Amino acid sequence: MTTDRPRLLERPDPVRRSMFAIGCIAIGAATAGFLAATLRFFVPNVLYEPSRRFDIGPPSGFPPGAVTFLPDRRLYVFNGTDGFYTISSVCTHLGCNVKRGGPGFACPCHGSQFNENGQVVQGPAPKPLAWYSLSLSPHAHLVVDLDHPVTPEFRLRA
Amino acid sequence: MRHRLAVWFDGVRRSVWRIGWPVTDKDRAAAMISSLFLHIHSARVSRHVLKPTYTFALGLVSGILFIVLSVTGLALMLYYVPYPPEAYRSMKDLQFVVTFGIVLRNMHRWSAHAMVGVVFLHMCRVFWTGSYKPPREFNWVVGVLLLLLTLGLSFTGYLLPWDQLAFWAITVGTNIAAYAPVVGDQVKFLLLGGHMIGPMTLLRFYVLHCVILPLAMLLLISLHVWRVRKDGLSGAEISASPTEERAGVFPASAKTYGLMGLTTRPRASVEARDPNDEVFAWPHLLYRELLVALAVIVVLHVVSLVFMAPLEEIADPTRTPNPAKAPWYFLGLQELVHYSALVGGVIVPTLIVLALLVLPYIDRGTSGSGRWFAPERRLANSVFTTLAVVSVVLTVIGTFFRGANWAWVWPWK
Repeated sequence: MTTDRPRLLERPDPVRRSMFAIGCIAIGAATAGFLAATLRFFVPNVLYEPSRRFDIGPPSGFPPGAVTFLPDRRLYVFNGTDGFYTISSVCTHLGCNVKRGGPGFACPCHGSQFNENGQVVQGPAPKPLAWYSLSLSPHAHLVVDLDHPVTPEFRLRA
Repeated sequence: MRHRLAVWFDGVRRSVWRIGWPVTDKDRAAAMISSLFLHIHSARVSRHVLKPTYTFALGLVSGILFIVLSVTGLALMLYYVPYPPEAYRSMKDLQFVVTFGIVLRNMHRWSAHAMVGVVFLHMCRVFWTGSYKPPREFNWVVGVLLLLLTLGLSFTGYLLPWDQLAFWAITVGTNIAAYAPVVGDQVKFLLLGGHMIGPMTLLRFYVLHCVILPLAMLLLISLHVWRVRKDGLSGAEISASPTEERAGVFPASAKTYGLMGLTTRPRASVEARDPNDEVFAWPHLLYRELLVALAVIVVLHVVSLVFMAPLEEIADPTRTPNPAKAPWYFLGLQELVHYSALVGGVIVPTLIVLALLVLPYIDRGTSGSGRWFAPERRLANSVFTTLAVVSVVLTVIGTFFRGANWAWVWPWK
């Protein structure tokens, strides 16, 4: 041995190398944890929104054979011969309010058209308009639940 | 006494500027190098890149517009309340109560619109001159991210006035995001801060618009400009003359870069320059830049005094205007979405962004770099031009040829 080579240029000590790997994994895991926590932070736990389940009043408020539009709820309420049902006015394409025109519904934004059951007749809408479940509250009021979609066979006799 | 005051004053001045007003070229080069802000430029620049028809100063104009937007945006923050319905009322205050409030708002709006256009043109210029070629591949990637940030800033700014235009553009925009596979609904929920557009949404868009996106933008602009400075401008190769001619005049090692030896990659674009083809950045580049900045600011003032930024009725979630149109730079997308929300709103934009990001790593080599429409780049230029023209045509159709129910209308009728 004529020269003292710097330690860095020697072959790495296996123990030091595995300690280094463990350190890297630990720091990586901690960073990933903090990132996940930060991402979770952005998901609100409390929403100050109107309830997804709400009372729309007594059945007598909806005349037989008529269609009532509740603009604040973006909802059409039907009182048909075989019972009550609701169809959402939110276009399934990009969320505009559909308008009743003729027997069905038409969307002003991108030209989607739906039949009287909310099925897509024409246009870019990928899905039919949503139907929501109706039930009667203990006070015999109609209650809509936006978290419970139903099929177009749904009717509530009240 | 008077002399001692002058000496003291001179000491203060020197502590700020370090050197006096430059008189010789050597002084000017020293001034460029010793100032943080001027050091963005090299002390000497190639004549080729100074030609207005080479860059059209589009990158510079984008930067100036970003500064104007930052300044006017900060001023607007003093009167704006990010909570409905006060948000809309503060727009009315800016319009009718605050002295020159309307001018500042107009300037903010029109600068933002101009920036979208100028950034797009800047991208076209860089492509058509092959300026993303080595060693500038990564700076093209940064540029694509900057284009996305520009669109993101414009879009998040759109909700803030809380008028009908804002509300329904955001409705359409966030619903497009919801079409993304797997994460779409979560992304929409995060953006809205809930299930519907409300105070939480406004606050989120406000923070994104005023803090998060501008900071990201500032960081990337710094990187972008720094890389231009380090990698050199693509026009430099054109004016480069054969090595034997310049040998002995200014040997390559005399360049600062060579002395610093901080880089290992070949610096062809810097070292191949013919010093006789270079001019001092002060005054040749600096004065041109000042002139462009002045022109941009004058034009913005005139436009802001003549054309009012639109403000529709207050946002009404129960009533959709017909048609509900997105901001113009998204109308091409909306026209695509009219055919299919998933393909037009998610798949096509994602593919375009991915293609732009990997472009410099697919179209490799340096041939045709630094010249407008170089013949050896005919294929690349044709493909890009076609896409650019298609996007412009779609935007024009969405803007002028679509009426109620998104039906076709002739704009002159």
